[in-house]
Amino acid sequence: MKRIWRIGAAAFAAAGIAVSAAGAALAQDKGTVYYLVPTLLDEFQTGSIDAIKKFMGDVGYEVIALDAQNRSDLQLNQVDDVLNLDADAVVLAAVDFDAIKPGIEKLREAGVPVMIFDRQITSTPSDLTSVAGTVEIGYTAAAEAERLLKEKNGEVKGKILQILGDPGDPYTLDIQKGFEEKMGAYDGVEIITHPAMQWEASNAGNIAQDQLLINPDIDLIFNHAAHLSVAVAAVLEAAGKKPGEIMMMSSNGAPVGLDLIRKGWLQVEVEQPMYAQAAALAMFADKIIAGEELTPGTYNITGLDSVLTIEDWGPNIKIPGAAITADNVDDPAFWGNLQPPTEPVSPVQ
Amino acid sequence: MANTQPTGALDNSDARPRRSRQLLAFVLDNLVWIILIIALSAFALFIPRFFQIGIFLNIVEQSTFVGIIAVGLSLTLIAGHMDLSIESVMALAAMLVALTFGTGGAGGGLVLSPSFLAFPVSLAMALGVGALIGALNGILVVRFEINAFIVTLAAYIWGRGLVVALSGGRSVYGLPDELRAMAIQRVLGIPFLAWAFIAVYVVFAFILNRTPYGRHLFMIGGNMVASNRAGIRVARNVILTFVLSGTLAGLAGWLLASRTAGATANLGIGMLFQAFAAVVIGGVSLRGGQGRLSGVFAGVLLLSSIQTAINVMGMRPHFTMMIQGALVLAAVLLDTAKNNIRRRYL
Repeated sequence: MKRIWRIGAAAFAAAGIAVSAAGAALAQDKGTVYYLVPTLLDEFQTGSIDAIKKFMGDVGYEVIALDAQNRSDLQLNQVDDVLNLDADAVVLAAVDFDAIKPGIEKLREAGVPVMIFDRQITSTPSDLTSVAGTVEIGYTAAAEAERLLKEKNGEVKGKILQILGDPGDPYTLDIQKGFEEKMGAYDGVEIITHPAMQWEASNAGNIAQDQLLINPDIDLIFNHAAHLSVAVAAVLEAAGKKPGEIMMMSSNGAPVGLDLIRKGWLQVEVEQPMYAQAAALAMFADKIIAGEELTPGTYNITGLDSVLTIEDWGPNIKIPGAAITADNVDDPAFWGNLQPPTEPVSPVQ
Repeated sequence: MANTQPTGALDNSDARPRRSRQLLAFVLDNLVWIILIIALSAFALFIPRFFQIGIFLNIVEQSTFVGIIAVGLSLTLIAGHMDLSIESVMALAAMLVALTFGTGGAGGGLVLSPSFLAFPVSLAMALGVGALIGALNGILVVRFEINAFIVTLAAYIWGRGLVVALSGGRSVYGLPDELRAMAIQRVLGIPFLAWAFIAVYVVFAFILNRTPYGRHLFMIGGNMVASNRAGIRVARNVILTFVLSGTLAGLAGWLLASRTAGATANLGIGMLFQAFAAVVIGGVSLRGGQGRLSGVFAGVLLLSSIQTAINVMGMRPHFTMMIQGALVLAAVLLDTAKNNIRRRYL
């Protein structure tokens, strides 16, 4: 009897392996793309894995994601590993924009095209960059901050608490750069900036709690990620504040941010168009892997008009981010609503 | 020649050095508290708007999570081991509670009737998962004789991995009001979180100093073989210590979920090293058998004060880490100096 069980189990396992291998072969009919994701401790990044797998799958590529655990050295090691794995292309969201440069050069020298996702790298050429632009997120946030301050104070003046992510992450520093560049035009605006070490939510809560005591006249809090806003909203609630009493905005468009908008704690969420960014890579993947040149122009990426330009660092497609407010929060196009486009994308001809 | 010196004068000359020695011993025993008072005074004097009751309450409230896991770490260190898993256990407990009761993100949105049951049930869940992982660590260390560093380092890694796997990297938010009560309510103007932090120290200081278990823990950490020969149940006590450490981490996780109204995959990251810093600054010996929770309490408050001062001043945060590192080094050097002074003068 035991033997029959064993044979049955072995047959079942073999069948399972055969089925999964067949499935993998089907998905791999064009090849394998490795996605080097900076961390899994961030909702945007984990969401981007699903999005890239889905869209690359639409155009016939299998995607294998490798987590760099927020370590630039580990990401460079992964580049070395991928070089030995016959990758057809690499999608890269860098931990560190500068540290990864030799890795990109190594991959391209070995004939592996490199597509940059979300985190723009301008120091070395790549085969395609698909971004909303981190500095541009700062610009969009600044435009919204101007609007909110004007609505509250009659003119663009007031006190802003800006809570960054980890100060070692160039992503947050770029947003800060864009935001402060635009807000610098207003003498009446004071910006108090503090980083939440390691993007840890309770650190953001602590900063807000301390700042509310020494700067009780803060008008607006700008958190560089939606998950930080949760802890800050929790602190505001514990301090007896009502939703909207102190205005708040954040960036990246995560589901948690959209929910805070619905509850009134958050007035604006600057979204990164994750689905479109991922779809753009898939739409151009065939051409990039075939070594064909990309034609500059405007392309419709999942409904968003996106401009492809040829920059010093290679083809660059910029997809417009959006400001999410209470008026448009339920728009399914926002990735934070977790309704990925059902229509498969097609390769650009 | 007869000694003509009056007896009273002899007593006085003896009393003076005795009093000096007592004073020296007091200073050495409470050095962290003295440093804390000096630091707070300096901050109050030189940092505008630092000196207000709200800031001091913030310092205590924000110390809660590192403070509670530091107690568990202290217990294991006093017992001659260590527990590196506390940070991940805390995050796991927070995530489990958030996944069960959170209404947003990856939360399951469990609603109990009557609703107040969410409070004890979630607390039991958090403490239970902490105790379970603590028991596993303890059994692996004691029964399988694997080094605690390795066992708990593994738990630190797989624990965080489990947090990411369970949540799929997604945030969880929207905890019911019953769970948020710990972060919102105050008693006598002091936040519940701060009361919880203080209560944990009072209870465990009592356990360490006034119960046979506590006394045995110091003996085990001081000399495990001798303790065994003296009839102390070393294995049972060490396993219990790991269970307590895990349970405290679970409690910290429950409070952290309440504080942040949910959980994220990176919740609490970096707190292990802060707890280690606080424990070392507080005078707990890494060699085992020595340590006082009052010192650890002061160490946690000192680190939190520095962090708050940096927040208030607007200083670059890199300085926090540099100051913490310098403080740990200074604490170790002070510990050596204290031992030398004790040997020479006391």
